Amino acid sequence: MFSKHLSKLSSAYVHGELSSEETRQFAEHLIACASCRADFDEVKMGAKFAEQLTLFSAPASIWPNVIAGFDHQPRASTRIQFLRPLAIAAAIVMMIAGGWWLWRSIRSEVPPSWQVARLNGSPRIDSQAINQDGRLAIGQWLETDATSSAQLSIDNVGRVEIDPNTRVRLLQTNSSEHRLELAHGRVSARISAPPKLFFVNTPSGVAEDLGCAYTLEVDDAGDSVLHVTAGWVSMQTANGEPVVPAGAACVTRKSLGPGTPYFEDATADFRAALARFDFDSTVETSSKRSSTDVLLREARPRDVMTLWYLLPRVNKDERARVYDRMTAIMAPPPGVTRDGMLSLDQEMMNSWKAKLGLSWGQPMEPKHSFWKKLWAETLGRVNGLRGKR
Amino acid sequence: MMLDQIVATREQPQVNDSIDSGTIAACQRGDRHALRRLFDEYKDRVYSIATYSLGGDHAAAADITQQVFLKLMTRIQQFRGDSEFATWLYRLVVNTCRDEQRKQRRFVPLADSFLSSMKSESSPRRNYARKEVSERVQTAISELKPKLRWPILLKYVEGMSYEEIGVVLGCSKGTVASRLNRGHQALSRKLGDLRGQVALD
Repeated sequence: MFSKHLSKLSSAYVHGELSSEETRQFAEHLIACASCRADFDEVKMGAKFAEQLTLFSAPASIWPNVIAGFDHQPRASTRIQFLRPLAIAAAIVMMIAGGWWLWRSIRSEVPPSWQVARLNGSPRIDSQAINQDGRLAIGQWLETDATSSAQLSIDNVGRVEIDPNTRVRLLQTNSSEHRLELAHGRVSARISAPPKLFFVNTPSGVAEDLGCAYTLEVDDAGDSVLHVTAGWVSMQTANGEPVVPAGAACVTRKSLGPGTPYFEDATADFRAALARFDFDSTVETSSKRSSTDVLLREARPRDVMTLWYLLPRVNKDERARVYDRMTAIMAPPPGVTRDGMLSLDQEMMNSWKAKLGLSWGQPMEPKHSFWKKLWAETLGRVNGLRGKR
Repeated sequence: MMLDQIVATREQPQVNDSIDSGTIAACQRGDRHALRRLFDEYKDRVYSIATYSLGGDHAAAADITQQVFLKLMTRIQQFRGDSEFATWLYRLVVNTCRDEQRKQRRFVPLADSFLSSMKSESSPRRNYARKEVSERVQTAISELKPKLRWPILLKYVEGMSYEEIGVVLGCSKGTVASRLNRGHQALSRKLGDLRGQVALD
């Protein structure tokens, strides 16, 4: 498919060693090449492990031993005596230079942080109201009240709008990971960083950006709703990691895990039936069955995605009904059999997943070139995608 | 895109030295206070790199650190400032470690001894999972081939750019990038079972 893979650039990319043009080319290639994405994930994980390296404290005995060894070596000691006045002068110069260096270091060492711009009202960073803009450092909370909103941004990563009555915290920002915590409220993210670098933790799961834009809302109970407007987002929970494509949404309950992703333009009956199926634990089996009836009746071609997600969530009898409806709407991929799908054969499930454009680990279908185009446009506006170290 | 072409077009790296030229000049005149400052600045990183490169042998690492700073004190007048001081120092470190390994004719991966030495360093109150990850990472790094291990150590202990690592190890930036890639992949494969623990950190 590709004459030349670029995965050998993965480490240089993670460490910000590529120029902006090289970074753009690499990121674009990454979007389209499943093989390089897999290699990139492996390198990124290796880099995460390497970041765990810790420093040891050198034993205090080393310095006296160094001095003792040095003093026993023959050398021109008179030279030092001769140069003593010069040494004093040099020490003065050194103190001045040291002071200048310290001053410069203090000024230039900006801790990792995101830019905060006030949009309305008086957003607060760790209880301090900001005027027009400020910086959100790792560990700090940004909070908006009913009348305020703000925008978080960082070069080469993207921007996140913080709606009223929202509380977010910056957990991490470095070359391999940017992570926010959304305690409650709503954020709208538009991410220009490559996939799998931007995350939002919520009480019910972690939204992993696979590009490019989404809205995430968390209520007071810790439940969340994800609306994806471009690209894909993976909702990582202990009970599954559904990939949600553009135009679709996914509800996640803190206590029950993720619901089934659905396209937001599905019929009202379809969405209501799905909500009952996913989260109404009081309904009887017969009611579940009636919910499934509605889902199968109301499903349109693009709702096959929801039906695919339902397959492992229903019993075998129901699964046969769901699968038959899927194939009535859409021809199955080559090599897939009904029996295989009813026994949830992983390879066949993946074939369907790829056909539905849900497969992050598979080559993309041409129909998803819109996403690549959006990426290219976004990336094209960025000078120096990775920025300074 | 050819990697060598790519890396050749990069800008010069940011200087990562935290010791100014005045301190170096004072050291070259034999100023003990300046030498002590320089020692304090680098001792832990030199000792850590020596420890990792010698498979967790702390006694040998202390000896290497001592040798490095003794060489530094006797040779610092040869430092002409035409390279960054850190790259000059770490060339001393790498060469001293390699000499030591040649002398002792022993292979690095002393995983068991490394683990036991690590345990003596650890506080009993440390989070067990974090400690396990840290120890496994250290052991995995000590088991890498030296040519993959050195770039990892210089990158993650000293924070050097690819160009600086290339100067220390006497190879091109492209080679550094390639070895780091392979080193990262090797770590990922060796430590795959810890994936969840690191990802959740």
